[in-house]
Amino acid sequence: MTNAAKVRCKNSRHVGEDEARRDASGKHLNGSCDSSPPHMWPAPGEYEFTFMTAASSLISELRGSLNEESARIQREFAASGDGRTAVAQRTELIEGILQRLWLDLISPEADKPRNFALVATGGFGRGWLFPYSDIDLLFLFSDRGNEQAFKDPVRRFSQELWDLRLKLSPATRTLAECERYDPNNTEFTISLLDCRYLAGDRDLFARLHDKVIPKLVEREAGPLLQGLAEVTRERHGKFGQTVYHLEPNLKETPGGLRDYNVACWLALISAMDKLHDWPDASSLRAPVRRQLDAALEFLMSARCFLHFRHGRDDNALSWEAQDEAAARRIGVTDSSELSAADWMRIYFGHARAVQRTVEQLLEEIPEAWSSLYRQFQSWRSRLSTPDFSVVDGLIFLQQPSAMQDPEILLRLFHFMAHHGLKLSTTTEYRIEQALPALASHPPRGAELWLYLQETLLQPHAADALRAMHSLRLLTLLLPELKAIDSLVVRDFYHRFTVDEHSFLAIESLHRLRESQSEWDKRYAELLGELEDPELLYLALLLHDTGKGVPGGNHVEGSLDIAGRCLDRLDADPSERAAVLFLIGNHLELSAALRRDIFNPETVAAFAEKVGTPERLKMLCLMTYADIKAVNPEALTPWKAENVWQLYISAANYLNRSADQRVHADVHDDKFARFRSLASVTSNKFRSFVEGFPQRYLRVHSAEEVMRHLEMADQVADDPVQIDLKRGRHWYDLTLVTRDRPFLFATLTGVLAAWGMNIVKANAFSNEAGTVVDTIHFTDRFRTLELNLSEWARFKRSITEVLLGEADLERMLRDRQRSEKSIATKVKVETRIEFDDACSSSSTLVQVIAQDRPRLLHRIASCVSQQECNIEIALIDTEGQMAIDAFYLTLKGAKLTPQHCKQVEKALLEELRGE
Amino acid sequence: MTKVEAIIQNSKLDAVKTALHEVGVEGMTVLEVRGHGRQKGHTEVYRGREYSVDLIPKTKLEMVLPDAIVEKAVQAILAAARTGKIGDGKIFLTRVDEAIRIRNDERGEGAL
Repeated sequence: MTNAAKVRCKNSRHVGEDEARRDASGKHLNGSCDSSPPHMWPAPGEYEFTFMTAASSLISELRGSLNEESARIQREFAASGDGRTAVAQRTELIEGILQRLWLDLISPEADKPRNFALVATGGFGRGWLFPYSDIDLLFLFSDRGNEQAFKDPVRRFSQELWDLRLKLSPATRTLAECERYDPNNTEFTISLLDCRYLAGDRDLFARLHDKVIPKLVEREAGPLLQGLAEVTRERHGKFGQTVYHLEPNLKETPGGLRDYNVACWLALISAMDKLHDWPDASSLRAPVRRQLDAALEFLMSARCFLHFRHGRDDNALSWEAQDEAAARRIGVTDSSELSAADWMRIYFGHARAVQRTVEQLLEEIPEAWSSLYRQFQSWRSRLSTPDFSVVDGLIFLQQPSAMQDPEILLRLFHFMAHHGLKLSTTTEYRIEQALPALASHPPRGAELWLYLQETLLQPHAADALRAMHSLRLLTLLLPELKAIDSLVVRDFYHRFTVDEHSFLAIESLHRLRESQSEWDKRYAELLGELEDPELLYLALLLHDTGKGVPGGNHVEGSLDIAGRCLDRLDADPSERAAVLFLIGNHLELSAALRRDIFNPETVAAFAEKVGTPERLKMLCLMTYADIKAVNPEALTPWKAENVWQLYISAANYLNRSADQRVHADVHDDKFARFRSLASVTSNKFRSFVEGFPQRYLRVHSAEEVMRHLEMADQVADDPVQIDLKRGRHWYDLTLVTRDRPFLFATLTGVLAAWGMNIVKANAFSNEAGTVVDTIHFTDRFRTLELNLSEWARFKRSITEVLLGEADLERMLRDRQRSEKSIATKVKVETRIEFDDACSSSSTLVQVIAQDRPRLLHRIASCVSQQECNIEIALIDTEGQMAIDAFYLTLKGAKLTPQHCKQVEKALLEELRGE
Repeated sequence: MTKVEAIIQNSKLDAVKTALHEVGVEGMTVLEVRGHGRQKGHTEVYRGREYSVDLIPKTKLEMVLPDAIVEKAVQAILAAARTGKIGDGKIFLTRVDEAIRIRNDERGEGAL
């Protein structure tokens, strides 16, 4: 007694404990013992001090062994790098401690008291206890009464554990409570799936495990799966649905440990639902399980490594951690040299495997579908084609042997990109089998480029690319992408790996179509106007490939790699030029933002560098997509506004500066690309090019200019030269002839009389009076599409009208009569602007009006009737809005202010009618 | 200790940073801000629609400095950021009560 008393006085901590116990229960130890069976508790008064002394020495003993053993586990891990063993050892260690405390505080017999059991749940139940993870415990009681009875011992038990610095995650439930599923607490029910007996009433545990849980699952499988799926989807949403984070969280990021668990739970619940009991073996299919086991080994080792490194439950794989993990070869068995990037690639490989399994399970288990998904399933099956069938939203091959043909593969991904469907596991398997054969004769050249273009243009292109990438097909077709495969690049802004960043950029542009935000709508309009959007998408795919190459400037590297890729695809020179321009200048717009974007000189310099409106639009969208794909918050309103301002300033500049004329100085760089096609010193070339606006050379490729030269040559014999082609989006008409009054008005009139709708047009003339007009139009009544003979008749008709041999007015009247006049709701107000300052030799008039048939003809006629000559015409259409810019001269000089007013009046009147 | 807040043109950021480093300023915070003073906003007409910017994008620098170098820093900013036109920006100085380094609880000018 004396000793005990000494202990009590000396160590104030124990005194404090005593106080705490008193306060917690509100009464003395003795008082709390009343309701419990007598054999459990010390007789009132007698036991108190020695009990405490015994407890305190047990605690210090336990603390000692806990520290020793933990240190031993840590040492062994440092030597072996084996996470699975470390985790199992820690589980055993903690179990031992719990059992000893149980014997000490709750009952001297391990399987008593009755009606109270200690159960391990969650990670602890699985036998996975990471060095600094919480310990999931369930205090299970048969009924409320018992729960109340053991309230204090349980509290004391928990407290001892806290004192040992063990972090508990405790739950207290009765058996009946476990039987209920609360949709707001899916986590608890899921944690029960991993339950394991630790101490106490075995019978009670058996009831939980053998009866309660299977019955619960049977009853609530649907809601449970749905709850789990929702929680998982939410978590994935937080991490951008991708595994490819530069600094992933091993537990929470898609493809991490949490996802591994979700896969096991999904499989387990489905199996249990069918069997009405626990399944005998793992419910995952064998090949899947093998892949996942490898992933699990790796992830466990990596997580142990992180816990030991940080000394707490921190699962973030920072760059420094990546360096160290690679140096220590965590989770890797062979002994070759490993850089941090290589180690991360291994990580991503495992994470991908886990993520794919989870995704597939979420797709295959009907109860796990969201309600929206269910609606899709029924109509998706109707999408089946002769090559592919769609079942439950997954793509299957109608003829499995067809995979021998590489073209099927390309069509498959086009199909995926178009419909936004996923591949079934069988299809993926077949693709993997077909890859080696494909590698020996990969598709290349124009055929590959054609499929690639079409795939890139589809709304779900990014998902198709991701699927191709994860199956290793993309790098087979475009080896240039190997350099950036799962590449972690260290900078403070980017969130995702370089390949994912590129896919995300492509996705950002496709998503513009549906976005409701005001900013996005503006950019979406630009996207709709592009002539060759596939070039933009290809540029985005390749723009950061240079980051995989050592060296400072990744732009140079990307240009180099992209050049090779374009060669492989047999892209034609104008396509090549556009893609390389975009990649080479993809940082230019952002760089310009660091200068004063309201300063006209900055704008002019930037606009000159870009050259044409088409390229300006593409560059603007490229910048938008690039920034958007850096991380979700990167495109701040500040940036979006700045990018837009610079775009419109530059666009306006380009429109207003179209009248700068070319002088055929042979030594000029801009003629460099012609040198291979013709002798640029020849008089013919020089006199043709002299006097055209600079814009003419920028808008047309070298081949086109040479063709125009040819046509101009023949004008002497045949005064009206016409080329007609079918482009992808519209028809291209090129007219080369000598300038004369009303030329443009007449030409547009013929097109209107044929029911054609002019979408874009450029009209240029040179010093010698030769005119080159290019018109992009759509064939509203499909005249040319349905009747090949109409092509020749159409061309003849233009020639005849221009030579005065046919009556345009009558043709227009006939057309008007045969067509129902469509009452177009005027949504766009007519606006006319004159700009006198932008050109030294002509006056710029910009007309914005509601697009309607014959609009251009009417404007051009009106202007010509006012005796103005159209030097340059730049015609564009944006949805319902026609945007027409004309550089006019009157008798070879700028328009006087009075004349401007006259023209304005005439135009307004003309456009008011109808 | 004095807090120096400077609102400057975006195009002057690099020049101002260099100038500040040269006088011994070791830390600063940079923000992308929008605002206006007497400089009028900017309106650009694109395809018949007006896009007006009433709040002009600018760059703001914030730093807390020992009193000894405050005047040098202010002179450095003035020299690097000035163009003489409206829209150059402004500098504000306020007194700071305390500065604390999170890593080791160091306080006062030593923490700057």
